[in-house]
Amino acid sequence: MVWCSFGTMNCIINLDPLPMRGPELGVQPDDIEAPDIEHEPKQEVLENKNVVVQRVHIDGLGRTKDDVLTYEIAEVFQAKNLIDVMRRSHEARQKLLRLGIFRKVEVVIDTSRGEHALPNGLDVTFEVTELRRMTGSYNTMVGNNEGSMVLGLKLPNVLGRAEKMTFQFSYGTKETSYGLSFFKPQPGNFERNISLNVYKVTGQFPWSSLRETDRGVSGELSFPVWKTNQTLKWEGVWRELGCLARTASFAVREESGHSLKSSLSHSMVIDTRNSSILPRKGALMKIHQELAGYTGGDASFLKEDFEIQLNKTLFWDSVLSASLWGGLLLPIGDKPTNIADRFYLGGPTSIRGFSMYSMGPQSEGDYLGGEGYWAGGLHLYTPLPFRPGKGGFGDLFRTHFFLNAGNLCNLNYGEGPQAHLKKLAECIRWSYGVGVVLRLGNIARLELNYCIPMGVQSGDRICDGFQFGAGIRFL
Amino acid sequence: MSIKLFITLVSTPWPESATLYQPLKEDQILLSDCASSLAVQAYLRMCGLPVQVVCRANAEYMSPSGKIPFIHVGNQVVSELGPIVQFTKAKGNSLSDGLDDIQRAEMKAYMELVNNMLLTAELYIQWCDDATAAEISRPRYSSPYSWPLSNILAYQKQWEVRRKMNAVGWGGKTLEQVYEDVNQCCQALSQRLGTQPYFFNKQPTELDALVFGHLFTILTTRLTSTELAERIKSYSNLLSFCRRIEQTYFEDKSS
Repeated sequence: MVWCSFGTMNCIINLDPLPMRGPELGVQPDDIEAPDIEHEPKQEVLENKNVVVQRVHIDGLGRTKDDVLTYEIAEVFQAKNLIDVMRRSHEARQKLLRLGIFRKVEVVIDTSRGEHALPNGLDVTFEVTELRRMTGSYNTMVGNNEGSMVLGLKLPNVLGRAEKMTFQFSYGTKETSYGLSFFKPQPGNFERNISLNVYKVTGQFPWSSLRETDRGVSGELSFPVWKTNQTLKWEGVWRELGCLARTASFAVREESGHSLKSSLSHSMVIDTRNSSILPRKGALMKIHQELAGYTGGDASFLKEDFEIQLNKTLFWDSVLSASLWGGLLLPIGDKPTNIADRFYLGGPTSIRGFSMYSMGPQSEGDYLGGEGYWAGGLHLYTPLPFRPGKGGFGDLFRTHFFLNAGNLCNLNYGEGPQAHLKKLAECIRWSYGVGVVLRLGNIARLELNYCIPMGVQSGDRICDGFQFGAGIRFL
Repeated sequence: MSIKLFITLVSTPWPESATLYQPLKEDQILLSDCASSLAVQAYLRMCGLPVQVVCRANAEYMSPSGKIPFIHVGNQVVSELGPIVQFTKAKGNSLSDGLDDIQRAEMKAYMELVNNMLLTAELYIQWCDDATAAEISRPRYSSPYSWPLSNILAYQKQWEVRRKMNAVGWGGKTLEQVYEDVNQCCQALSQRLGTQPYFFNKQPTELDALVFGHLFTILTTRLTSTELAERIKSYSNLLSFCRRIEQTYFEDKSS
């Protein structure tokens, strides 16, 4: 909503959505003054009137520094007519909001006043409300035989230039973990940013009878290049592996101990989908590579993985989605690969119908992961039959028919790529089925599927019949 | 020392592939671990049970109790001399069957003496004596790891051992007092041994293996000072005891 005043007439113009033809004039009852005879002619020429934006300023700044914001609002000066002013103001408002430092941004467009005011001059004012210096959150979580207390602290706009600091601390009956992260965007170029993190996380992986504690620091640099988003990252992690139970297999026991990984990684993302959960159109391509060992540390490998997803809307509101994942882990030097670096496959988020990460090389029931994998999925999403709850809750659900296939194995690097392809192509596991998907906000989804796994190799653990899955990244 | 591992034991014969794991011999292993490992090796040789010795940098973390050495037999993993003795007993191999109850109690008492005195003294000298810790223990302990993990792990181990020393009351002792304790322990052992070939006359028992492990390692390990070895050398019957066991059970062992 925007307040405009022209002459003595106040009017309200609605900016969301953008008006297609000229402003719609509504009148506030308590602001009516004596109507001016000039009102009518002005109203007619509002669209085409050439204007000059003389001043753009921002009210309500506290700790935010000005220089960061000048970039975001610079475009408004170039507007040539009123519609342009409104459009650019709207865009500038969006830009200011995406910095993550304001709770509210309002735009006021007014005629210029003062000594240097031109007859067609305009003043644009952004009235902002900054976020509080610190917000905290406190949650308790109860999970598998463990309870924990999670404390979160967020400091937006710490130093005045849209830097953000977050701290999360989780204190549980079994494990404690924490993370501290500092984010700084380049002033004027929010998509270029730097992020520094310090963390300790612990994980328990019952499918491998493995417990892992990672303490690490990482620094990340993101920048857009043409249509892609590139990220360069250095990470140093102290990894501690241990057996989860006395009954862990000896192969997992042999991996226990400490190791240090210092790696450089690069990833490139092109995402043209309209949404990351249940997209209707667009494509995603993600390529990630990691090189460890050349900046110190014990682990030494080259890891590549990619993710491709294509979506297309078909007739009757149904969507066809195809995805392909793959990865390769190449050890450098004579040390074998570490269980913490290998790939895992299977479960409700990848090859449905198999138990979580319970596929591929294993020893005494503990899954050791593999050095190479591929996985593909073909989905047809349709609205629920008979469309219950249409227009409301029912729109969050979709039915889907799926076909998943994939393979995970260790590669003998003495042989050539032909042998590798052959190995990945034999003993393919695949599954098909039908299920219901629930979309949770824009972040996660829940699935309940009826799966029929096929091509099961000895050693794989399957979950045929109903399988429930929750997560962020699904095949 | 958990005995729970043996509850469901099925009496299978001792496999050829039995393996004993210890830290890397050349660069990593420390005096106390070497002594414990040698004691177990001597015991198994005395029982006539073949075992392969494998060196791994992460042996300490692989062990279910966190202590060296441990053996991998079939699909059982057992660590430390006490549980290993129980384990072999359950399989039908025992060195102390011929002892009566009084002798068995005496044997246990002497084994406790060695563990409480000799082993604790070894740990003290390695980690609580600053010179030894800085010159030998920390560099060796952290040798398989790269910086800064090497420093972190070495200091972490040092603090852990020092805390343990404080807990057993050795925190306030000086090096001289520790040497004196070792001397007294050796005196007790020497008196018990007398002129016999083994502690319980003709047949070696696990006590012999344990004493041999510690004394032989102390005699053959280079430390910052030779005081510890000197104290043992003053007891000639202990020296000949070590030599006898080495010749009888380890003569095919390459050094």
